[in-house]
Amino acid sequence: MSNPTLTLLGRGTAAGGVAGLVTGLFSLLLAEPVMDRAIELEEARSAKEEAAEHAHAAAGAVAEHHEELFTRGQQHFGLVVTAIIAGIALGALFAVAYALIHRRTGYLVRAWPRALACCAAAFVAVALLPGLRYPAAPPGVGDANTVGERQQLWLAAVVIGILGMLLAWQLYVRLAGRAEPLRQGAVFLTGAATLAVLFLLPGNPDEVPVPATLLWDFRVLSLGSQVLLWAVFAAVFGGLGLRAAAKAGVNSPVSSQDLAATAPVK
Amino acid sequence: MSASAPQSAQTATDLASATTRTRDLLILAAAVIVALIALYAVFMDNGHIISATGSYLHEFSHDGRHLFGAPCH
Repeated sequence: MSNPTLTLLGRGTAAGGVAGLVTGLFSLLLAEPVMDRAIELEEARSAKEEAAEHAHAAAGAVAEHHEELFTRGQQHFGLVVTAIIAGIALGALFAVAYALIHRRTGYLVRAWPRALACCAAAFVAVALLPGLRYPAAPPGVGDANTVGERQQLWLAAVVIGILGMLLAWQLYVRLAGRAEPLRQGAVFLTGAATLAVLFLLPGNPDEVPVPATLLWDFRVLSLGSQVLLWAVFAAVFGGLGLRAAAKAGVNSPVSSQDLAATAPVK
Repeated sequence: MSASAPQSAQTATDLASATTRTRDLLILAAAVIVALIALYAVFMDNGHIISATGSYLHEFSHDGRHLFGAPCH
């Protein structure tokens, strides 16, 4: 099979699966202890509230016990599965965007630098900008009554992040031939303006009743996991692209330079 | 799926005929739909996909949702 679109999709989903697996294992080791602690604190908090309610209310009060569908161990496994599914799906979407953006030049030209640039833009669009506006919350934070509203805000933030990065790309392309500082400055300012626009959205309505150190640890690990996801994805996607380019004999002056500068991917 | 077999002179990039472009767009559209359904299932579902049995998807992907910043209960 030599359909270039299918093989590009294959590279995207393969790189996404690898990136998801690595991210899942990373967060299983480092983020799960923090999430387990957050859940212990949540249980202690709700037990206290329940006890207080019992002290006040009459005997008729029904103690609402939270029935769990999965054990914590199963949810740990679920984290890795979720990361792999998300990685594959994001990899497929990335490959589609990559195909549309590079449809005129072919998918194999300058495979490595393009993979890095596109992955950086994707990370900023779907992880960094939405994450700065609506930072990740550890388990135990999040009101079931506001989840619909928060999902709309989060989706809006992701869409605005993607639109901002598309605008930055278009500005960079349309300023071709101008000085590099001007082009790169335009890209940076577009990113900053997108972040400013995100802060016009309403804030997260939920309280965050967890210790500040736990919140910081969790948010750093959340952002770190997403940095890792996109970094591994960029490396695998770019490496597979280089290998495919070498096989297909794509040798633009720039891509052969890149091939020489990078260790052979075999 | 008949037409003439691609001849040797044509490389993959030269095959930008209307049929291949349509086929490629269909492949890309299908990939987008499948990927979005998968992302909805792990990051957005609140018990709608397997509603009869409770929020199984939500609870199974619970930790991943929190880690990737997706809103959770």
